[in-house]
Amino acid sequence: MQSPDNIATGNSHRERLKMPRPTAWPMVLAAGVALIATGIATSLAVSAAGLAVFGIALAGWLSELRPGRGEVEVPWVPVARRAQPVAVSQRAVAAPREGLPGHRVYFPEHVHPYSSGVVGGLVGGVAMAAVALAYGMFSGRGVWYPINMLSAVILTRYNAENVQAIEQFDLTSLLVATALHLVISLLVGLFYGILLPTLPTGAMRIAPVIWGGIIAPLLWSSVLYGFMEVINPVMSQHVAWPWFIASQFAYGIVAGWYVATTEQVPVTQTEGGRSVTGTREEADPDV
Amino acid sequence: MTAAPQSHAHDSDSSFRPPLTARLHDWVTTVDHKRIGLMYVIMSLLFLVVGGIEAMLIRFQLWTANNTLVSADTFNQLFTMHGTTMIFFVVMPMIAGFANYLVPLMIGCRDVAFPRLNALGFWLSLFGGCILYLSYFTGKGLYGGGAAPDVGWFAYAPLTSPAYARGGSVDYWILGTMVSGIGGITFAVNLIATIVTMRAPGMRLGQVPLFVWMMLIDAWLILFAFPPLTAAQVMLLMDRHLGAHFFDTQAGGSAVLWQHLFWFFGHPEVYIMALPAFGIISEVVPVFSRKVIFGYTSMAMATAAIGFISMGVWAHHMFTVGMSDALDAIFSAASFLIAVPTGIKIFNWTATLYGGRLRLKTPMLFALGFLTMFLIGGLTGIMLAAVPVDWQVSDSYFLVAHFHYVLFGGSLFALMAGFYYWFPKATGRMLGEELGRLHFWLLFVGFNVLFGPMHVSGVLGMPRRVYTYQPGQGWEVWNQLSTIGGVIMGIGFLCFFGNVMHSLFRGKSAGSDPWDAWTLEWATTSPPAVYNFEVVPEVRSRRPLWDLKHPEDPDWKHE
Repeated sequence: MQSPDNIATGNSHRERLKMPRPTAWPMVLAAGVALIATGIATSLAVSAAGLAVFGIALAGWLSELRPGRGEVEVPWVPVARRAQPVAVSQRAVAAPREGLPGHRVYFPEHVHPYSSGVVGGLVGGVAMAAVALAYGMFSGRGVWYPINMLSAVILTRYNAENVQAIEQFDLTSLLVATALHLVISLLVGLFYGILLPTLPTGAMRIAPVIWGGIIAPLLWSSVLYGFMEVINPVMSQHVAWPWFIASQFAYGIVAGWYVATTEQVPVTQTEGGRSVTGTREEADPDV
Repeated sequence: MTAAPQSHAHDSDSSFRPPLTARLHDWVTTVDHKRIGLMYVIMSLLFLVVGGIEAMLIRFQLWTANNTLVSADTFNQLFTMHGTTMIFFVVMPMIAGFANYLVPLMIGCRDVAFPRLNALGFWLSLFGGCILYLSYFTGKGLYGGGAAPDVGWFAYAPLTSPAYARGGSVDYWILGTMVSGIGGITFAVNLIATIVTMRAPGMRLGQVPLFVWMMLIDAWLILFAFPPLTAAQVMLLMDRHLGAHFFDTQAGGSAVLWQHLFWFFGHPEVYIMALPAFGIISEVVPVFSRKVIFGYTSMAMATAAIGFISMGVWAHHMFTVGMSDALDAIFSAASFLIAVPTGIKIFNWTATLYGGRLRLKTPMLFALGFLTMFLIGGLTGIMLAAVPVDWQVSDSYFLVAHFHYVLFGGSLFALMAGFYYWFPKATGRMLGEELGRLHFWLLFVGFNVLFGPMHVSGVLGMPRRVYTYQPGQGWEVWNQLSTIGGVIMGIGFLCFFGNVMHSLFRGKSAGSDPWDAWTLEWATTSPPAVYNFEVVPEVRSRRPLWDLKHPEDPDWKHE
């Protein structure tokens, strides 16, 4: 039999739900906690009052947990105010480009493998280190000089030291500089591998080498020139800029060249619940 | 069991409007996750106004050298209250509000796992804020009378010891943040239980919206980060009231211990505030690019990685304390490392935009604003992770600029994107687009004019927290630019509040799904009924509404 409430809403008797009953006890309990806390800063009498409020609220809250006390039946809202079923879209889904597997395609369609970025970054790192060490030898300051200056990005021991200290071998500095150089070389190489295929190339086959070997080192050398005093004050005071910039270009050209010359592979797309490698033309024709 | 309360029983009669007292009673006693979420958001907006006024007073004081608009003591209170308010009572409640309102809707359940505990969490947060501001009326400072805390938002020892912080004002800081922190812990427990146990039928953890993923990691971070702070605060209270010496160096304690305990909370807290922003952006960018999010799995994994690494970088806030070279190197390396998963996220959002059919509505504008501003904040963060850099600019305005680019340019821009995106769901009305755009541009320009110059004043050597400065140091112009930026931002927020008030009463009707979106919250009415869904939906993919709108090409065939 329909209740008056159900008749008013147009609900059937089944269209009701059990929901948690509204209650003030959580607010009262929180007020008790707040009073206890406030009493510490004001007067213990306030804390005592808070403790009493807390106890009463806790008892009230626990009473809500007795069977049948904590829930109320809520009727569904009238039919006219309910959510309508989600309509099938009449709009066509645009495909980004002909021949690609649907709108879920990942761009770019072809990328350099991660391994090319890793190897390119490390090879570039070797080239960069070679230039830096060559500077150390030709300048007469020794090979530890550029290494110690690099470690000053993290280590603070050289801040107050003179040039002679920077020329000496120091194991911690060697470890820190080596770790820094390896990690940064590797990450920038990976970045190259991901970024280079997305940059415009036009008709030039050597465009990635220009992007990676000339434009990128030019940009970050400029940034480093501007910020070196903040990033690495020791290096800022003692760096030989022509050599420093040469080492950046050595890294960029070698890493960029290596990455650009490795063969690109099609990205793995998903279609029809299975992985599809490459564009539709390249993929299994049954897909 | 009894029938529904009056407000629910009268759902059938749309012309019936209960008296104000009944409506207030409904709000005070509610355990509905949506109403609690809205109360969190309203609380956050109220404190935003208060914290914003404090910030403007700080800016006007620094307008010119040797200014005397406020005294040094008042200035100390202003920056302490501003920082504490913005972090504990603006961003945190806003996050809790979004999560409370959206997570159950997004995962297709009727309420959170512990509705009463949820209400308790909100009231604890609100009363925590009240305790903090009670200090203006009852906290006795050094000179007696009402005095707000004046020890900075991280309240370093020994400044908080009875010898240096006489009276009770510091106690209000401890107690207010501690009570709200307990509220935060209850929120986190509730959220984890809800996400883990109450997802819609068929919805695997690998299919929940990315906002839910981010909130899950966020809740775990809260659980790990807040208890150590609470413990430290209890220790500080014992120092101040029971004669303990945990942080009293002269009696065998350690002031640096407070720094370790505080930042063990404080740095994860940065990510606690950032992860929900990442989640919001991960929802807004795909919908307004009309593309699937790029790299769902890598996004979720990067979030977990950020959560993990963020627990191990706290001491990069302490490079100037004088730790060993080894500790400096370890925390510096860990701080650099966190750039990797964060970079993955930036890359994935950019890749989602790439090739998309962009709709530059207000939520998307704020999302793009987030991407650019957060990137700047992230880059200066990498600079600060280098120990020598940190040594030079620590506690300067460069640092102030950095964390505002992260927390305001990052978190608050994203929260604004979310506000414009989900306001129609919560109220049934659209926010005005023209005022929204005006709000965005005023905020974007004002923000950069306010915080951009702080990089320069910081590098020029201006320390943070100085209440005035001598002329002739080259700082005036940068401070005046910052103040002008603050005014522009203030006007932007006036547009925002005007837009909200106007739209609440006269806004365009939103319908269930105004953005043609794909997650479950858009499958129900705007605003949703108290029980969310008449029938709990069954889910087969990460975009259940896409599946329904495009039965010829559903996502579940591709996942």
